[in-house]
Amino acid sequence: MSYILEAKDLRKQYPDKLALKGLNLQLAPGEVFCLLGQNGAGKSTTINLFLGFIEPTAGAAFINGLEVASNALKIKQYLAYIPENVLLYPHLTGLENLSLLSSLAGFKYRESELRDYLGQAGLPAEAMARRVGTYSKGMRQKVGIASAVAKHAQVLLLDEPTSGLDPKASNEFSELLRQLSGQGTAVFMATHDIFRAKEVGTRVGIMREGELVDVRPTTALNTNELEQLYLTYMQ
Amino acid sequence: MSQFSILLHYEWRHFRAARGLVLLTSLLLVVGLYGIYYGTTEVARQRRHLAELPALTRHSEAELRRKFAGPADAGEIGYYHYTFARHQPSPWASLALGQRDVNPYYLKLRLLGLQGQLYASENVNPTKVLSGNFDLAFVLVYLFPLLIIALCFNMLSHERELGILPLLLAQPLRPGVLVAAKLTFRGGLVLGLALGLSAVGLAWAGVPLDGRVALWLALVGLYCLFWLGVALVVAAWQRSSAVNAVALLGAWLLLLVLVPSLLQVCVAAAHPVPQGLALTMQQREAIHGGWDRPKTATMTRFFARYPQYRDTATIRERFAWRWYYAFQYLGDQSVAPLAAAYTQGQQQRHALVAHLGWLSPALSAQTSLNALAGTDLPAHLAFQRSATRYHDALRAFYYPFLFKKIPFTHADYARLPTHAFASPADLGTAARGLWQLLGGVGAVYLLGWALLRGRAVAPR
Repeated sequence: MSYILEAKDLRKQYPDKLALKGLNLQLAPGEVFCLLGQNGAGKSTTINLFLGFIEPTAGAAFINGLEVASNALKIKQYLAYIPENVLLYPHLTGLENLSLLSSLAGFKYRESELRDYLGQAGLPAEAMARRVGTYSKGMRQKVGIASAVAKHAQVLLLDEPTSGLDPKASNEFSELLRQLSGQGTAVFMATHDIFRAKEVGTRVGIMREGELVDVRPTTALNTNELEQLYLTYMQ
Repeated sequence: MSQFSILLHYEWRHFRAARGLVLLTSLLLVVGLYGIYYGTTEVARQRRHLAELPALTRHSEAELRRKFAGPADAGEIGYYHYTFARHQPSPWASLALGQRDVNPYYLKLRLLGLQGQLYASENVNPTKVLSGNFDLAFVLVYLFPLLIIALCFNMLSHERELGILPLLLAQPLRPGVLVAAKLTFRGGLVLGLALGLSAVGLAWAGVPLDGRVALWLALVGLYCLFWLGVALVVAAWQRSSAVNAVALLGAWLLLLVLVPSLLQVCVAAAHPVPQGLALTMQQREAIHGGWDRPKTATMTRFFARYPQYRDTATIRERFAWRWYYAFQYLGDQSVAPLAAAYTQGQQQRHALVAHLGWLSPALSAQTSLNALAGTDLPAHLAFQRSATRYHDALRAFYYPFLFKKIPFTHADYARLPTHAFASPADLGTAARGLWQLLGGVGAVYLLGWALLRGRAVAPR
């Protein structure tokens, strides 16, 4: 079976800390993997390694069969990234920010198409042509989501993407992830949100001190059991 | 549309949104135009003064014609008649005034000893001279780096501090392309402004369209590229905007103030020159001592230099003009080695500074622009040599009247030698400056490139 995202004995040693201790993980197309863990557990390090922002100390990360470290540019055609706090050019409008990010990804959209993507992400129409400097955190997050969707990525790397979103927006986001997953997009989401992980994930992993200590299919657990499992590992 | 073009387009959008930068750029445009106005006005003022000098000489002659209605003793005429050696500025001087404000651009000459007259100049307010010239060269050499610093200090750190860099770098975008687009936009803006101002200045000054125009533009372009390269090195260093700003301002202070000042001190120590005042004092003492020395001793020394007048009548009277001018001449001769050492020392200092220009591109650029405009020290020394030759010609004109006792008639005024001197351009120094700047540009871009290659751009 070919994996769209894969980690093989992935390690990352910072000068003062071993952040990742030999991660092994595979994601198939359409799979939604939710990585749970406390702050500093290694979730963001894992995402940064898949993005090629940092180089592994040992092991390798693969996107679409390509090793990230040696194909840092190529792999970015296949993935999209939404950080915990989407920050954009404040003097540009939501439409202009989206246009910039899409253009850099190689997609040249008309304004109507950009509006569709922003609308799909839940951004109110009246806000689209407004400067991002006037946006709330949630609205910026929606522009980030729109940029990920507009990129038609095969892999979504999400780092606490629903942080700051209101329950309605979070729900819409979950729905969007389900749609993308249904279209074959693999999603790797680092989150603290156990409920959201159970809701949208196909598998959940629990990371503790740089180690993936447990991986379960979400169908095998209900939300309470998942919470208990998580708390057990965090003790 | 390539990623580079997209980023360039958005750089323009970012620039337009940064009102402070737009204001600063506009301000520098206005300041540059003022620099051109200042330079052309100052040169026009000097030209006006120079044009008025022949009228003063004619006025002096008219007075002498009235005083000596008939044939006169040439000694009297030589004593009272004054004329001027004029240092005509080239049109280029408007763009780089150089030392034309501190060195006299005309010399009032009489038949007396020359050395004292060579260093006599108008009294000027030293505090006004201290502030220097606000010409186009000053704007380009001193103020343009500050604009480049303002435009570039947050070239990459802005996106990092804004938090958008992770999103940009999550696209299939080489960090080098992002940096190149940013640098290209800023370079285009700065070079457009610098070369545009130069074009306006060249047209305003009415310089002839020859190779010097290309040399000026190349010097200005390379100097701006050097500072953009320094900004690239600092950006590639990947520190915060505040640290970048401090580093760039430190580089400005180092290369525009500290290194040139230290260089001047070192060069002055390496090539000590006699004080101009000492030279003038020694000459005055030699001339005044002439009154007390035996006339035969004075004339013997004079005839050794001018043997053609050896057979003229022995001086028996208490005062004779030819004896008076002989000890004036000998006064000059007595300080000739000191004067030569003074000039040579100044030339050596200038040459050493020009050779060490690679230590400070600002110094190199300023030296080169002054050399191109003919407003540097060598141009002034050339003017002094020309004035010396003119004074020699005056002596050669008067001596036959004095020693052969030929009466000076009104018709002889028209035969008096005249002087003309125009600033020469020192293309050699300008070309050397060009190579030094080229070397500096190569070094900073190589370092910037190596830093970018060696350290991955950190998105956070």
